[in-house]
Amino acid sequence: MSAIQLTANGLALGASYALVALGFVLIVNATGAVNFAQGDLAVAGGFLTVALAGAMNLPGGVLLPIAMAAMAGFGVVFAYLAYFPLRRQPPATVFISTIALGIVLENGANGLFGAAPRLGPPLLPGGPVELSGLVLPRQSLAIVAVTCVAIAGLHLVLMHTQFGRRLRATAQDAEMARAVGIPVGVMIAWTFALATGLAGAAGMLLSNQFFVAPGDGTNLMLKAYIAVTIGGWGRVWGAVAGALIVAFFETIVAVLLSQSAAEMLLYLAVLGVLGLRPRGLFGETIGRRA
Amino acid sequence: MATAWRRHVARVAAGLNPLYAAGAVFLVVYAQVFANSYDQRVLAIAGIYALLVIGYQFVFGHAGALSLAQAAFFGLGAYVTALLATRLGWPFLVTFPASLGAAAALAALVALPVLRLESHYFALATLAIGQAALAAAVNWESLTGGSVGLGGVPPPSLFGFAIAPGTRMLVLIWGLVAIGGAVAWLLIRGPRGLAIRAAREAPMAAGAVGIDTGRMRFTLFVLGAAYGGGAGALHAHLLGVVSPEVLRLPVMVSCLAMTIIGGRTRVAGAIIGALLLVHLPEWFRFAERYGPLVYGLALLATIVVAPDGLTGAATRLRQFLWPESPPPPPEILPRAVGLFHAPAEIDLKVIELSKQFGGVAAVREVSFALRGGEIIGLIGPNGSGKTTILNLITGTERPDGGKIVLNGEDIAGWNPHRIARRGIGRAFQTPILVESMTALDNVALATHTAVTAGLSYPGRRLAAARAEAASLLGGLEIESSAMQRWAADLPHGVRRRVEIARALAARPRILVLDEPAAGLDEAERNALRTALRDLAAQGMALIVIEHDFHFLSGLASRLICLDAGQVIAQGTVEAVRRDKLVEAAFFGPTAGADGAP
Repeated sequence: MSAIQLTANGLALGASYALVALGFVLIVNATGAVNFAQGDLAVAGGFLTVALAGAMNLPGGVLLPIAMAAMAGFGVVFAYLAYFPLRRQPPATVFISTIALGIVLENGANGLFGAAPRLGPPLLPGGPVELSGLVLPRQSLAIVAVTCVAIAGLHLVLMHTQFGRRLRATAQDAEMARAVGIPVGVMIAWTFALATGLAGAAGMLLSNQFFVAPGDGTNLMLKAYIAVTIGGWGRVWGAVAGALIVAFFETIVAVLLSQSAAEMLLYLAVLGVLGLRPRGLFGETIGRRA
Repeated sequence: MATAWRRHVARVAAGLNPLYAAGAVFLVVYAQVFANSYDQRVLAIAGIYALLVIGYQFVFGHAGALSLAQAAFFGLGAYVTALLATRLGWPFLVTFPASLGAAAALAALVALPVLRLESHYFALATLAIGQAALAAAVNWESLTGGSVGLGGVPPPSLFGFAIAPGTRMLVLIWGLVAIGGAVAWLLIRGPRGLAIRAAREAPMAAGAVGIDTGRMRFTLFVLGAAYGGGAGALHAHLLGVVSPEVLRLPVMVSCLAMTIIGGRTRVAGAIIGALLLVHLPEWFRFAERYGPLVYGLALLATIVVAPDGLTGAATRLRQFLWPESPPPPPEILPRAVGLFHAPAEIDLKVIELSKQFGGVAAVREVSFALRGGEIIGLIGPNGSGKTTILNLITGTERPDGGKIVLNGEDIAGWNPHRIARRGIGRAFQTPILVESMTALDNVALATHTAVTAGLSYPGRRLAAARAEAASLLGGLEIESSAMQRWAADLPHGVRRRVEIARALAARPRILVLDEPAAGLDEAERNALRTALRDLAAQGMALIVIEHDFHFLSGLASRLICLDAGQVIAQGTVEAVRRDKLVEAAFFGPTAGADGAP
């Protein structure tokens, strides 16, 4: 594999991880709860596009928004099953309810599609692009582009719309948001929809480049968890940077050394980062006020 | 001796829930009469998980730390037993303690860097430890056998008795569950249990009464790991093989789910959670490949119906069916015991104390001295550094310069619990109580009886600690009925006095109070002033932050006025009140002409 291909591959993987991690961050900020099923939701998105591509002959560019919308709708259902009944419980309780739904999703996919990895539809038809003598893998570029658009869109919505301001107000202080008349429950449902939509996009992008199997969710979730934590808990740009770091280990370090050595090094790096910066690479360094 | 033991056993038996005892009898009959060898094996696995979960409750339930490393300790225990038994042929009586010890040692090693991390960072760090252990097990083939693992682990043998899989193995495993459960139950009952809860739910308050929260977290983490190591050892013997599977995430997830489904802090919860979650997949075998899906749905349904665990749901059900009458008011000791004991010699010198926050000098070279029987009033405008000085003296903040010398020993920069143990007690500006405990227990947790609690008779020690607490609360004129209420339900004035009583329970020589009269009505203020004067008359020394000159005038022997971190006046209440600088600090330089606001 050429250096350019490898880099493009790493960026594509990092971009997909970033989408999973961003959904994770949105839910954490809005509810304080860790959604352990975020990876399984991405896998579900992957299988959804596999099924859609099998059922109707549509180009990837059309399938993507359909899959995202469908997954967003499912995100609301997910919230009503795993989060809303437990919203007054400590966060660890929601951790378990999302694990339970993750088990349901994983085994649902296993029952419907079987355990073998499946190939999802491509985003764009055709082979590699040639740009002034460089051969660039088209799918990887498309994945990076789609992710950039999704992140920019998310940024725009969060920072420059009234809806985004309400969403952020809910995330920062739900009590206060309720006091000024923001429908907090509706905002949280929207947050789950957004997060699950992003997971759906990640699932489709990953399923073409790296295949999708029912058991992939846990690994995806772990990678998103690492990305979010070393990036500084609850920070959007930190999560993106964290996702790229994780992908760097899984592609470039893995090729230079070996898959298992890269895995080991990644976890040691995580411990190292937390040893030096207990609140993540981009987390605030000041302590809590007494 | 024998009678003492008999009494001890009787006390333990009296504490057993009849429902759980009936469940245990049912299990024994089922295992012996109805279960075939496969069922017995499933029961054995449930017992192993019960041990793992009892250990995990120490960390997750009692220390309140979401650790994801419990499977790593489980796996380490399994590998240690497998290696020692197959390569060296060592007997169970050596390999089992070795597995326990290895897991505890690993926990102690990683605890120092990891335990200082907060919530999610702690969870991720412990997860990384588990994943690193997994990677090591897969890659270090010469030692661990790689992904194939180690086979041929013999059944354990005790005193020349080979314990074959089946009934004997069940007796061994569940016997260890009973021992482990009893030890855990004794450790977390009584006054020590109160201290553990305080360290978890209100760590600042716990530190202020001398509870070493860091050491407590460390002990609970290591103890939990030892249980995990023991469970892993039994797992290796039962299966006869050890592979990296024991280190994978599903083990950790099962352990966490069992803890939450059963209940986070009850030993019975660990056993029920393990039994249920190990058997659920067996019951859903009829659904074939959708079995795990049904398992997930059942898990979700259980957690929605019983979010505080099945033991929590059982307790609520019992309360609903047979409401318990409120406990009798605690027996109050004579006043002499708690509140009014003569403290030893007191000589506190604060010398040129300084503290910066960023570029702001919050405290600048403040010096004063305090002796037994004195009450110093600390006054000054908002932001003048009063609370920071108290935080420096009690160890909540570390000074940047200067000394705090208590009876010849410089205590500047010590941890809060060490300072508290040297005899400096404190109440916070906003009372910090353990909200899920009664007022009485909030005070009982700080008593000497509680802090030095041994393993023996936790119930009796708890009664003694509560009696001491009741006399302290009574001394501050709190009704017996209020003592039995949850801290969260107490009115503000009572909360303040509960906090002062808690500080007194730790038997301080110096008491440090941050605006104790704020929010109290006139009668409460007068009662508080009388109580504080009594304490000083008995030889205690006090530092009181207060805005109200009137409250201080009948109380303080000396006032220190601060402005912008510096002492601008000291002396008697009257002298400081007339001081021009003080007036300027409070009312602004020009306010003197047109009178007070």
